[in-house]
Amino acid sequence: MKVNFYAYFREYANAKELTVDHCATVEELIILLGQRCGPRMHKELLNEGTVSDQVIILVNGRHIAHLGGPQARLQPDDEISIFPLVAGG
Amino acid sequence: MFGWKGTLLRVNLTEKTIQKEPLNMKDAELYLGARGLGTKYMIDEVDPKVEPFSPENKVIFMTGPLTGTFAACSGRYVVVTKAPLTGTIGASNSGGHFGPELKFAGYDGIIFEGKADGPVYLYINDDQVEIRSAAHLWGKDVHETTDLLVAETEEDARVACIGPAGERLVKFATIMNDKHRAAGRSGLGAVMGSKNLKAVVVRGTGAVAVAQPDAFLATSMDARTKLKAHPVTGVGLPTYGTEVLVNVLNQSGALPTKNFASGKFDRADETGGETLREKYLVRNKGCFGCSIGCARVTRISDGPYQGFGEGPEYEAGWSYGANCGIHDLAAITKANFICNELGLDPITMGATIACAMEMMKKGSLSREQVGRDLVFGDAEAIVELTRQTGLRVGFGDQLAEGSYRLAESYGCPELSMTVKKQELPAYDPRGVQGMGLEYATSNRGGCHVRGYLTAPEILGVPEKLDPLTTEGKAFWLKIFQDLTAVIDSAGICLFTSLGIGLPEIAAQIRTAVGWDCSDEAILELGERIWNLEKLFNLKAGFSKADDTLPKRLLEEPLPDGPAKGKVVELEPMLEEYYALRGWDADGIPTAEKTKALTIEG
Repeated sequence: MKVNFYAYFREYANAKELTVDHCATVEELIILLGQRCGPRMHKELLNEGTVSDQVIILVNGRHIAHLGGPQARLQPDDEISIFPLVAGG
Repeated sequence: MFGWKGTLLRVNLTEKTIQKEPLNMKDAELYLGARGLGTKYMIDEVDPKVEPFSPENKVIFMTGPLTGTFAACSGRYVVVTKAPLTGTIGASNSGGHFGPELKFAGYDGIIFEGKADGPVYLYINDDQVEIRSAAHLWGKDVHETTDLLVAETEEDARVACIGPAGERLVKFATIMNDKHRAAGRSGLGAVMGSKNLKAVVVRGTGAVAVAQPDAFLATSMDARTKLKAHPVTGVGLPTYGTEVLVNVLNQSGALPTKNFASGKFDRADETGGETLREKYLVRNKGCFGCSIGCARVTRISDGPYQGFGEGPEYEAGWSYGANCGIHDLAAITKANFICNELGLDPITMGATIACAMEMMKKGSLSREQVGRDLVFGDAEAIVELTRQTGLRVGFGDQLAEGSYRLAESYGCPELSMTVKKQELPAYDPRGVQGMGLEYATSNRGGCHVRGYLTAPEILGVPEKLDPLTTEGKAFWLKIFQDLTAVIDSAGICLFTSLGIGLPEIAAQIRTAVGWDCSDEAILELGERIWNLEKLFNLKAGFSKADDTLPKRLLEEPLPDGPAKGKVVELEPMLEEYYALRGWDADGIPTAEKTKALTIEG
């Protein structure tokens, strides 16, 4: 699966994108990223072991809030994008 | 008198007279200030059918009761007039330091009437107010004008002025203050130009008193603390600026690309806030009383687009970027610099160029008519055509009318992505359904800052609404529109609403002016203001037929991305919206509604 990082998540991942093995759910992927990318990533993405609501996680462009939340199922060819909470315009 | 100063300046440019008059406090209590109160003065004093460039139109600079106070982000003022781009009520607000300085000089606002017989500027130095010749400034750009006026008045003076675009009546000319801040949309700078009013210079040494100093300080500190602690206003905006939205909207499939042909731009990342920070950011910057610091001070040090200034913001980065198929961030930044220097709205400018690009692609425009090839992706073109437009030379003279009039004159108005002749901003409503309703119902035409549903629909702030459905959008839009009207009329920055809400904003207003009222009563002020603007537009000749979207967005499905296959399902949202507003099926406020809101006139 392809994971895209934006804003300071690029610094935490030290990459704009990563390819990771298939994870069954968004939560599984986020826990994996927290382990793989170090403590700053872990702290931002997870809040007491659950996926933080202070990040924007899109699966194929859809916010996970509209796909069933952290338990949303993932397919091997899904594209996941991770942003901090941003707004403006 | 608390919050408000209680005094207005009335300047008749035809008669060369200046009067100081008491602020209408009855109206101030009903319409608050800035956008709301300015609109009330307009509807009372100006026929809504007035020609925008006639001497009978007025230009009103107005602050709000929080402008210039310790309230969070309290640097805003608004300019209200009949807008030349749209023919609607025009109300554009701006930050920086000009608004607070006007309050410090002792005035809530200025009403300009008539037309000067030659270029003039108004100089305010506390009690001393003069109309002075601006003959030596005519033709100068915003930076030169500002520097010259500061040099010939006061070192600490604040300047709001027009550039060459306003002088030449470009339909989307801005009023610029503090060099880089803009009352940007709908062409209000051209109305100043039509009156031969080049600038307003103000120096004030007073202060703004508040009713409950201890409580006001506590509520303001509470708001500031929450803004600092919030991830959007405390980290995201100061670090990356508004351009950080480019990638979010692109990944969501709602970044309008090549004049709304698509919602995905494959080179978007090269134009985003992350790239701007890496390549061209000098530092971030805030306006008066700012707790956020979203502005970008930027420099292009080498190559063909060298320059120094501020921006681009997200909207300008998009209009010149994805919307024109351009990924060269240096060219985009340079074009934005030129907009600030000549006094142009970069949203309409970029979108009008994008429209012209599609017109040439479809054969409606020829190389001979434009004077050059014009294809999506031509970075050099956006810089050159922006300059031509600001000076109204070459093809720029036609671009200066905006995309609707341009496309209509060549027989293809359907290629203009506008509502009420104002160009849409950077969210494709086929992928953000609520924004479609927002565009259609905005009282100043295509606009994102009258009810920013992108926040809940795309970004999940403060709620998470599904952008692809229509359910609940009318309900949320009414709340957002009413709250935005309160914020704009209080004199604070709209971005506060990304980190705090009605309770914190209402608390600052109450303790500043000494009201004892509920949050709901404060929100009702916003509803009253929204209805008054609507009534102005109805009297100007607008109807339900104008509360719509470009045909493309209603009939042509998005070809790609998560919203693939979607068009805007406007009609059911509009019907629900009118009902929620207490308007009839034609979108006209009922007598019961206007009576309940205590709207007269």
